[in-house]
Amino acid sequence: MASLRFVLKRLLLLVPVLFGVATVVFGILHLAPGDPARIIAGQRASAEQVAQVRRELGLTRPLWVQYLDFIWEAARFDFGRSYSISQGNPVRQVLADRLPVTVELALYGQLAGIFIGIPLGVLSAIKQDTATDHLTRVGALSGISVPIFWSGPLLILLFATFLGVLPTSGRIDSTLFLPTTWTLLGRELPLTGMITVDALLLGRFDAFVSAVRHLLMPALVIGIYATALISRMMRSSMLEVVRQDYMRTARAKGQGAKITVTKHGFRNALIPVVTIIGIQFGTLLGGAVLTETVFGINGMGLTIVRAIGASDYPVVQGTVLTFALLFTLVTLVVDITYGYLDPRIQQ
Amino acid sequence: MSTDTHADDGPGDAADDRRETRGLLERVRASPFLSDLLSNRLAVAGLLVILTVVVVAVYARVTMDLTELTRSRLGTDVPDRAPPGWVGPAAWNQYLFGTDAAARDIYKRCLYGAWLAMKFGTITVGVSTVVGVSLGIVAAYYGDVTDNVVMRTMDVLLAFPPLLLALALVAIFPRELGLWRAVAALTLVYTPRFARVVRGAALKVLEDEYVNATVALGASDPRILARHVLPNTLAPVTVQSTLNFGLAIIDLAALSFLGFGAQAGTPSWGLMLSRGVDNGLLTGRWWLSFFPGLVLAVTVLGFNLLGDGMRDALDPRMREAVD
Repeated sequence: MASLRFVLKRLLLLVPVLFGVATVVFGILHLAPGDPARIIAGQRASAEQVAQVRRELGLTRPLWVQYLDFIWEAARFDFGRSYSISQGNPVRQVLADRLPVTVELALYGQLAGIFIGIPLGVLSAIKQDTATDHLTRVGALSGISVPIFWSGPLLILLFATFLGVLPTSGRIDSTLFLPTTWTLLGRELPLTGMITVDALLLGRFDAFVSAVRHLLMPALVIGIYATALISRMMRSSMLEVVRQDYMRTARAKGQGAKITVTKHGFRNALIPVVTIIGIQFGTLLGGAVLTETVFGINGMGLTIVRAIGASDYPVVQGTVLTFALLFTLVTLVVDITYGYLDPRIQQ
Repeated sequence: MSTDTHADDGPGDAADDRRETRGLLERVRASPFLSDLLSNRLAVAGLLVILTVVVVAVYARVTMDLTELTRSRLGTDVPDRAPPGWVGPAAWNQYLFGTDAAARDIYKRCLYGAWLAMKFGTITVGVSTVVGVSLGIVAAYYGDVTDNVVMRTMDVLLAFPPLLLALALVAIFPRELGLWRAVAALTLVYTPRFARVVRGAALKVLEDEYVNATVALGASDPRILARHVLPNTLAPVTVQSTLNFGLAIIDLAALSFLGFGAQAGTPSWGLMLSRGVDNGLLTGRWWLSFFPGLVLAVTVLGFNLLGDGMRDALDPRMREAVD
């Protein structure tokens, strides 16, 4: 009961934040330089044509009408049509195509971070102040200091240009073609858009291998960053827990060091790390933008970069709002998990 | 020789000098924060890196001409895309890091990049610190509606993934502003972090009884804030600023890399990297992107080493206040 109330309260608190987020995004269009009507009509259009487009876009209405209209549209996740980068297509369609690409990338990076970072952090804490610990810590600090837009190009130079073992860019070999639907028990279903998952659903092993080869380097650069962040947090959290009284009690009643660390220490040390994984998900999404640009992966990141460059404001608004929504939802899930792991938080 | 000098200066001055030196050493030793920090080898290494970058930055600013570094040298006798001197033929020896696609000296541009990174990094972190600290203190002290309005606004800004908010904000500012629009966008991105840290620290101080006592004695609001609340928030703010400085340098470079920062030709590390990727990735001209990235990464590592050491040296209870 208490936890249901906790979840509901968290959800309610989200409403004003999302409202504010939508307001900021609305402001971007109206503060941005350049006339959207002029962008759509083209440089050679006459003044009447531009005025016509402006009327069609509803830009002649009072600002507060446009604002309310935008909030209503944002609530239905409808941002109109792309001005230029995917001209005439609904922004919603652009987002639906691109989002799975970015989620797939961020997910693999995050998973690598969790599965490598947590053991490394525990190891570092258990072996505090030894060579292993120092090496891990300096490694982790270097990991967060090396920008993705440097490690990415270096990997491409090494593995693609010089060794020629991995492809430089894209998501899959251009000779391979995946359909947009798959059939399960005679019914036709849409695919996920996550290429490794789709290849498996279709039973296309060649496509799967190709997708993994393309994903290896991009996931690695994000993974390095996530690993560095998580191992640092895991280490300090573990060290904090080891000093607690209940750890000493467990040892005093004759429990072995290994069991104490795994049963009591590890589980409690994970709690704050869960929060960090949520907070750093935002940084990871930013990392995905840079990674997509470096590796030419056509996801949300590359889309927003192109949209800003081309003043395609509906696409900019749609992508920014989607990113913020995604980040907020992850934070919410983390909060709820945190409340579940540590019931004291719910009070 | 030394006795002569002492004789000239008079015995009193020398004694003062000695007392002052001893005083400083004692103060360092007496401060657990500073002695902890200075006994942390990694933190000292970070400090040395930062000092080196500062020296390089000032040296580059004083001795080099920006227009000379920006202008294309194609058509002169300087080879373009020449590998670093120690790799290529002896005639190119003078180019330690090689030359770029416009035949410019990458080594010199990397040095000048240090100046740009430090200058714009300082402005970004400086402004967001000052604004964030003010907002945080005001929110904590006045509480109630003020607190709610300020902190809920900060919450909204914190709801965006940092780099994406920066990208969205960059779209607002005109292109001609160059690196300044990256500075403006990132300042807005970082300010809420400072506001949150400071508000937390300030709330702790305000619970202390001596603040109530000062209020009872009739101290004015500005006096309480400046004399009692502000000094107590300085420690977490300093750590946050140091760690954020590294971030600011990366983010400024990232925006330039994506094409929303420094204008064409500017010797900023991010832009050099982006041009290096365009011109050298597939042809194997690794030096175009390797060196700008290296100096960028080493500089950021310096700030992270120092910031990390400062956080460790702080009172453990304060550690929670800084993320």
